[in-house]
Amino acid sequence: MRVVKHTETNGRGRHECGSPEHRVHRRLFLQGSMASGLASVASFNGLFSIPALAEETKKQGKKCILLWLCGAPSQFEMWDPKPGTITGGPFGAISTSIPGIQISQLMPRCATIMDKLAVVRSMSTEPNEHFQGVDVLTRGEKPRPPFTRPILGSVVAQQLGQLDSPVPQFVLLDPCPEGNEFKSFKAGNWAGWLGAQYGPVRSGGEYSIPDILRPEALSEMDHEDRESLRKFLSRKFENDRRSEAAAGYNAAFERVQGLMSCAPLFDLEKLPQADRQRYGLGAFAQHALQARHLIENGSTFVMVANGMPWDNHVFQHEMHQMLVPELDNVLFQLITDLELRGMLQDTLVIAMGEFGRTPWLNEARGRDHYSKAWSLAMAGGGIRGGVVVGETDPLGFEITQNAIDNRRLFATIFKALGIDPQEQYDLPDLPTFHRVEGDAQPIQEILLG
Amino acid sequence: MQKTLTRTHDFKLPTAILGACLLQDENELIAACMDGVYRVEIGAKKHQRIGTHESYVSSAVYLAQQQAIVTAGYDGKLKWHSAMDNGLLREEKVHGFWSWDMALSPDQRYLASVTGQYMAGDYKYSPAGETEPSVKVLNAADGQLVHALPHVPSVQSVVFSHDSQWVAAGNLMGEVRVWEVASGKQVGSFQSKDFTSWGIIKSHCYLGGIFAMEFSPDNNEIIVCGMGDMRDPMAGNGKQLWQRWNWREAKMTAQTLDKQSGEGLMEALVLHPAGESFVMGGRLRGGDWNAALFDLASGERIGSIKSGFRITQMFFNSKGELIVVGGQGQPGKEADGKFPDFGRVEIYAIGS
Repeated sequence: MRVVKHTETNGRGRHECGSPEHRVHRRLFLQGSMASGLASVASFNGLFSIPALAEETKKQGKKCILLWLCGAPSQFEMWDPKPGTITGGPFGAISTSIPGIQISQLMPRCATIMDKLAVVRSMSTEPNEHFQGVDVLTRGEKPRPPFTRPILGSVVAQQLGQLDSPVPQFVLLDPCPEGNEFKSFKAGNWAGWLGAQYGPVRSGGEYSIPDILRPEALSEMDHEDRESLRKFLSRKFENDRRSEAAAGYNAAFERVQGLMSCAPLFDLEKLPQADRQRYGLGAFAQHALQARHLIENGSTFVMVANGMPWDNHVFQHEMHQMLVPELDNVLFQLITDLELRGMLQDTLVIAMGEFGRTPWLNEARGRDHYSKAWSLAMAGGGIRGGVVVGETDPLGFEITQNAIDNRRLFATIFKALGIDPQEQYDLPDLPTFHRVEGDAQPIQEILLG
Repeated sequence: MQKTLTRTHDFKLPTAILGACLLQDENELIAACMDGVYRVEIGAKKHQRIGTHESYVSSAVYLAQQQAIVTAGYDGKLKWHSAMDNGLLREEKVHGFWSWDMALSPDQRYLASVTGQYMAGDYKYSPAGETEPSVKVLNAADGQLVHALPHVPSVQSVVFSHDSQWVAAGNLMGEVRVWEVASGKQVGSFQSKDFTSWGIIKSHCYLGGIFAMEFSPDNNEIIVCGMGDMRDPMAGNGKQLWQRWNWREAKMTAQTLDKQSGEGLMEALVLHPAGESFVMGGRLRGGDWNAALFDLASGERIGSIKSGFRITQMFFNSKGELIVVGGQGQPGKEADGKFPDFGRVEIYAIGS
C-alpha cells in the first residue's frame, strides 16, 4: 500500500509510472511538437501524423471510456431480462455468443460480442435518488465533508494521464446543459482534493468549446508572448498569496492553451462520415465515437453522457426501445473498433448508471428507482470477457448471489487500470482516507491476470 | 349542460389493460392485457385468459359477422380468436416491431395496425425514417394485406372514419396522415407541434405524440389527444390536451379550453353515440380528473371522473354507458402468495 502526501500532487506535480515507455512517449511528444512547429499548434491532427508518436500514444498506459447512463437504466431491458414474468416488461431475451447467457432482445449486437463483455447482475448500492447515486457511482463513496473525493475520471487522469499534454486527460462529452440532479452534480467539485487541473474539459452540444481558435489578427508570436506574461504574473500572484483560486485559474488557462492546439479533436465534423453513420446519429453515439478518437489521440479518461435520459418514470418502454438499441450499437462499435486498433486490452469501457429500475411498473407504466439489485457491463482494459457475475431472483427483486457494492466496483475498476485501490490519502487536518474505503476487494472473477 | 358520471360496475384483472372491446351481447368484454387476452363476464365479474401474445397485448376488436376477436400485440402479430370457443383461428406477423394500436373499420371490412420504432435520426434525436411500412391495412376476414402505408415512426394511434372511407394515423411527432381506404392514396395530413416534447431538462430527445384519435360525426374533422409540451418529458406533467383539426385544410379549429385541463397523458378518446360530445381520458398527474366529457360544439368540459388509475381505452355500449379500462401501478409485493391484481375495468352511467 502506498501513502500519498498532499504536496505530491499539488500544483503541477504529478505521479509518473517511471516506465521507459512513458519516458519515450514524453520525449517523442516533445520532439513531435518541435518538429511540426507551428503546424502542430494549428492542427493537432498534424502532430499525430508522426507515426512514431502515434504508435507510442497507443502503447502508453491504460485508458478508460465511461458510458455514463445517467438517470439509471433498466436492468430488465438490458443485462438481466426476465422474459415472460410479471416484472419482465414487453421485451424478450436473446441468446448470446456465450452459451447459457441471455440478454434483452434490444441488444442483438452486444449478444454477438458477449465473449468480450463482463456483466455484473448483482449491483447493490445504497442511494436511491439521483444526486446521491451519481455521487457514489462516480466517486465510489458517499460524501464525507470536508473531504471531497475526486470523481473517477479525475483519479484516472491524475494517476495515468499526462497533465502537461495538450490533449485534455479527462473529457466529459455531454450535450445536455441541464439535467435536474445531474445538473447540480455537474456544478460541483469534480476533482475534489486533487485540484482543478484534474477536472474534466467539457464538450458536446451547447457545450461546444467556444473561442479556442486564435484570432487571425493575433500572431502566434504575440499570442505566446501574452501567455508568457500572463503565466509569470499569475504564478507570482499564486506564490505570493498561496492562492488556490489563482492555481485553479492557471490550470484553466493552461487547459485552454492545450485546447487551442487540439481543437480539431473536438470537431465532430472532422470525424469520418462512415464512422459517424456506423455509430449512429444521436448525440450519445456521436460522442462515443468522439471518445474513441480522443482516447486514440492521448486522452486518458472520457466520460460520455447525454443528460439523464434513462430516468423513465413514465414512457419506460417507449424510451428504452430507443435508448437501449442505441447503446447496444455504441458498445458493439466501440469495443470492435478498439479491438481492431489493438487498443481494447488497454482501454477499459464501462457502461453504467447510478442505479437500476424497479421490477414493478408504476401507474404510468414507468419503472422507478431501484438500487437494491441492478446491472452494469464492462469490457477491455484488464477485464475478462464472457463472464456474468451475480444473480437475481426470478422476478429481479433480490440478489441471490454475490452482491457487489460501489466499493467493490471501484476496487475492480482501479485494479483493472493498474491503480492501487487501497492507497491512503494523508491530507492535512483530515483523517486518513483511502482511494477505496473499507478494504473492499475487487471482483476477481472478471479481472485478467 | 353538465353531466354526471356515476360508477355502476368495477372489477379487476391480473395485469394492466391496454385495450378492450365488447362482445356482441355486451355482457362480455375482451381485455388486451400485459400478460394476455382475457374474456370477462361483466355481470359475474369472472374472467379467463383465452390467449397470449409473445409480449403485451395492445388492442382488441370484435368482428361480429365472423364472431371472432382480433388482438394485436407488441410482438407485431395480429391474432384471430373464435368468440365461440376462444380457439386461435389465425395469426399474422404484421410488423417487425410493436403493434402500437389497431382499429376496425365500422363496416368491419378492414383492420388497420400501426407500428414504428423510434430511433435517432440526427444529433438532436429527430426520428429516423421507417424501416418497415408504419401503417398496414388488412382484410379483417382473412388478414390479407390491402395497403402498406408510409409514415414517420413511431406511429402510435390509428382510427377509421365513421363511413369507413378514410383511415388516419398519428405519430410521435404529432403528424397525422389520412388515406383513402379503397385506394390507399394519401388524401391529407396535418401536424400539431403541441403534443410532442423535446427534452430541455434531462434529455435531448422527443417524447409524446398523438395517442388517440376520433373522426367528427361528419368525418370532416379529426379530434386528437395526448399531452402538452413539457420541459422534462419524463415528468409526465404536460397539459391534458385535445385538439380538433379540419384534416383536409390542415387547420386546427378547437382545442382544450383554458383552465379546463390538468396534467397528464391522455391516451383514450371516443365520441358519444349521440354525436354531441366526446370523452377523453388517461393519467392524472395534476388536477382533479383523468377522464372528462366535452361538448363537441363548444369544447366545454361538461363532466368528469377521477378514476384512480391510468385509463388506456374507453368506449360506449348501446345504452350509452361509458366503459373505462386501464391499470393501476403494479404492486411491488406479493400478498397471500400472489401479486394483487392491477388491471381495472369500470362502467359509468351518464346522467344529467
